[in-house]
Amino acid sequence: MPEFKVGDRVLDIDEDGFIQKPEVWDEEVAKALSKTEGVEQMSENHWKLVNYLRQYYLEYGVAPMIRKLCKATGFKLNEIYELFPSGPAKGACKVAGLPKPTGCV
Amino acid sequence: MSESQKSYKVRKLEELLRNKKLPRQVVGSLVGCIHCGMCHESCHYALSSPDDPRMTPSYKADQIRKLFKRYRDWTGRVFPWWVGAHTPLTDEDLERLKDIAFGTCTNCRRCTFNCPMGVDTATLNRLMRGLLTSVGVMPEGVRVVSKDQWEIGNQMGVLKEDFLDTLEWMSEELAEELGHDRAAIPVDKQGSKVVYAINPREAKYDPRTIKSAALIFYAAGESWTMASEGWDQTNFGLFSGDDQLGGAAGRRVFDKVAELGGERLVISECGHGYRSTRCEAPNWAGVTVPFVMESSVMTMLRYIKEGRIKVDKTKNSARVTYHDSCNLARSCGFYEEPRELLRLVTTDFQEMHPNRTENYCCTGGGGAMSMSEYAPRRLKSGRVKADQIAATGAKIVVTSCHNCVDGLGDVIKHYKLDCQVKQLVDLVAEALVLDEPKPAEEAPQVAVTAAAGAAAQRDGRSLTGRRILVVDDEEDARTFLSMVLEDAGASIFQAADGAEAIRVALKERPDLITLDLSMPGKDGIETFTELRRTPQIAQIQVCIITGHPEFRKLIYDRPVAPPEGYMNKPVKAEDLVANVRRILELEKRRA
Repeated sequence: MPEFKVGDRVLDIDEDGFIQKPEVWDEEVAKALSKTEGVEQMSENHWKLVNYLRQYYLEYGVAPMIRKLCKATGFKLNEIYELFPSGPAKGACKVAGLPKPTGCV
Repeated sequence: MSESQKSYKVRKLEELLRNKKLPRQVVGSLVGCIHCGMCHESCHYALSSPDDPRMTPSYKADQIRKLFKRYRDWTGRVFPWWVGAHTPLTDEDLERLKDIAFGTCTNCRRCTFNCPMGVDTATLNRLMRGLLTSVGVMPEGVRVVSKDQWEIGNQMGVLKEDFLDTLEWMSEELAEELGHDRAAIPVDKQGSKVVYAINPREAKYDPRTIKSAALIFYAAGESWTMASEGWDQTNFGLFSGDDQLGGAAGRRVFDKVAELGGERLVISECGHGYRSTRCEAPNWAGVTVPFVMESSVMTMLRYIKEGRIKVDKTKNSARVTYHDSCNLARSCGFYEEPRELLRLVTTDFQEMHPNRTENYCCTGGGGAMSMSEYAPRRLKSGRVKADQIAATGAKIVVTSCHNCVDGLGDVIKHYKLDCQVKQLVDLVAEALVLDEPKPAEEAPQVAVTAAAGAAAQRDGRSLTGRRILVVDDEEDARTFLSMVLEDAGASIFQAADGAEAIRVALKERPDLITLDLSMPGKDGIETFTELRRTPQIAQIQVCIITGHPEFRKLIYDRPVAPPEGYMNKPVKAEDLVANVRRILELEKRRA
């Protein structure tokens, strides 16, 4: 299994770059992951999205529908793509420490 | 190894290998390979790893052939060492076979097209996947998705309320943009002509394509709906090789369209979904589908050609190239129409080379996007694709497949190309010129039907207000049919041959056509097919009236919507009226 270095920690990630243990996630991990998704600087808006995704995942065990994400955070669909160029599934979910979404994505 | 030491999976797989009924192209593929190496030149895995012989399609296929040699062929049982048969299966073998069947082949069929012996490695590979799946050996990603598709009814486990909420959201966004709510997405609207089915990815992660499609349907004045269930046109049965899942997923969509009385199932841009739903699922499910199925690319193209929507191609001026999805191009022969549409909505189209049936896989085919464990190998194989894209100089790679969107997105990111991926629906919506909003198409029809019904009640004649075209080359027959229908209150037009029939139908747009089959010149079968394929008159009800009952199969085998009625000559007057009336009533109920 590939590894991902954050500071002096070494985390297990899958071959698509998603971390394998959601519990090791923290802000430092998110910042490091965001760089792999073309986000150089995590803004307040990035955090708002990421925190919602993470909280939803911890509660329900799946990634939320984009509808729920937009409703809860107040972002427009296009704004999500501006924040995370690779989209909510591959970009935002990865930074939030979720496993890779299932299916054709 | 003794029987009792073998795992259940191994014993089960051995039994399947011995007994499974094999289709003809599989049998041919088991014996046809001459190891000429043509497939090596065709495969994006092999081309990206030229030093690894395990990436050559014939090697992969040989691993499957060896199994059949062992368990199917008597020579493999008697002297396995001589004929290259597999050693008895172990659990490790199953894992190795899984790695080959799922992890080194996207079933893209490029090698199939280039094999001089007609060996269909992709079909062989899918068979192997199916055998492994049936004993529970498959990548975790495929297992999870298949489970959701079986149990929740769509591959991403989207719940009904969430789905409806998403459609409502897109309707609200459209209302905001247009300043009115007439473009709202209809849900479960009984009697809609078009039922639109999508990929769950659109609802779950990126519903912008749903919004674009809704805008286009609205602009065309289409009578359309989406279904609250049975809306997932994708099919993991194709990827896992499980025909039962394939049939079940297909049937869900078919049943819903039939329940809604839809005349046409429009499938959103998804390569494997289109292939599965339109070409494979009727066979997997063992059903005859009573409505037309088409890709939304065809729908959009038709709207432009018929003048139902207007587009301004200068709105898309960046250079675009087109990536053929393997399932659309190689498995469905669907590659000219997307190009035709692309040229209508963009100004700078540059072909990618090679293209059409020779195009290389996006790397995400065969469900590869859902199998993370093979991602490094997949991305390595993407070098071929990256080179192809880079050579076009395009800023936008257009594709008609959701899998390709993600596969290409990964390739673009990995090889740091400066471009993005879009679908045709995005570009058509972008180019759309909205005039004064057209009234919805069904409104006047309902009025006509109601008026006809009321008129019929007034004078007691059942076909009052109806317009019928009678087509027959024999004058006596024509006169008889016309007289009977006219007596029942219908307005009659006549045509003595196929060409005239098409002309009159286009001019008069009758409610129904009675069509003779044996006519000189363009015969009835040809005429019927042309009627169905001419968009302006494709929806007209047709009742075949023929002296040749044996032609029925010919007519119903045509790749178009079947006729609404079929009567054998000689026809009795009261039967004719009753039949025609039933057909028209049926339409009234649907409307």
